[in-house]
Amino acid sequence: MADDKDVLRDVWFGRIPTCFTLHQDEVTEREAEPFYLLLPRVSYLTLVTDKVKKHFQKVMKPDDVEEMWFEYEGTALKWHYPIGLLYDLHASNTALPWSIFVHFKNFPLQDLLHCPSNSVIEAHFMSCIKEADALKHKGAVVNEMQKKDHKQLWMGLQNDKFDQFWAMNRKLMEYPIEERGFRYIPFRIYQPTSDRPFIQKLFRPVSPDGHVHTLGDLLKEMLPAAIPKDNEKKKYQVVIHGIEPMLETPIQWLSEHLSHPDNFLHISIIPAQCD
Amino acid sequence: SMSLSVSPAQTAAWRKQIFEQLSERSKREMENFRHYEQAVEQAVWVKKGTM
Repeated sequence: MADDKDVLRDVWFGRIPTCFTLHQDEVTEREAEPFYLLLPRVSYLTLVTDKVKKHFQKVMKPDDVEEMWFEYEGTALKWHYPIGLLYDLHASNTALPWSIFVHFKNFPLQDLLHCPSNSVIEAHFMSCIKEADALKHKGAVVNEMQKKDHKQLWMGLQNDKFDQFWAMNRKLMEYPIEERGFRYIPFRIYQPTSDRPFIQKLFRPVSPDGHVHTLGDLLKEMLPAAIPKDNEKKKYQVVIHGIEPMLETPIQWLSEHLSHPDNFLHISIIPAQCD
Repeated sequence: SMSLSVSPAQTAAWRKQIFEQLSERSKREMENFRHYEQAVEQAVWVKKGTM
């Protein structure tokens, strides 16, 4: 039987084949060829697209190059969401490679945060980890870590080093056996066309009477519409890392195995495919 | 004596389904695209020395 550790590897090494095309509004001196890349699902767009920037800058005048940003079918892609989440939320069930437009001007300030350097991504990533640990262990684990331990988590993600990252991240996944899970589960539930960016509330992995909470229990409380009623056709897909776990899956297990490196379980609720 | 036991979680349907879906995901998202460049290059460490 496969080991649960294999799940961690599969999650970490997930890749989205992507085709980057320069948007037609951009001014170039020569024709810009599309650029193809395998993007790590667990990383961030602005962290892994140096090659894309270099590729397109070659055909542009320096004066025409402002901050790079990305668009998929009219949606400005938020760099501070993990890549896999962006794909699941906006492009699930579409043909691969994922086709993204690249822009160098008209930065959509109302939709996106500026990302002038990798240190901005690092700060965002670490603040997510701290928030997740506040939910899981009242912040005790992250606070006990040293600066170099925090760096190890970040460098592991930045350089795609699974072992380096998990040597430290496993500490964030521990809990006292008698408590049967974290204090609260760090999760965020997203919908592609919602006014609010995501749903995030307090949710315990085990009920006061000892019942193990499942993905279904979480959705029942946070977004009941996501669960099909009896004899009704499925209206929504519940997607995590490009898969649809059964609603019976214990939420604690999901938190330990299918969380992103930021330690949050990012759950996309998207309209179901018509067969 | 010690005996190895299989916990119910290890045989549960939800668990099996996650493994199957992850392997389907790899096929769907990666199989035809192995020739694409990786966004993050893996540094190659060459260890030199004598045994």
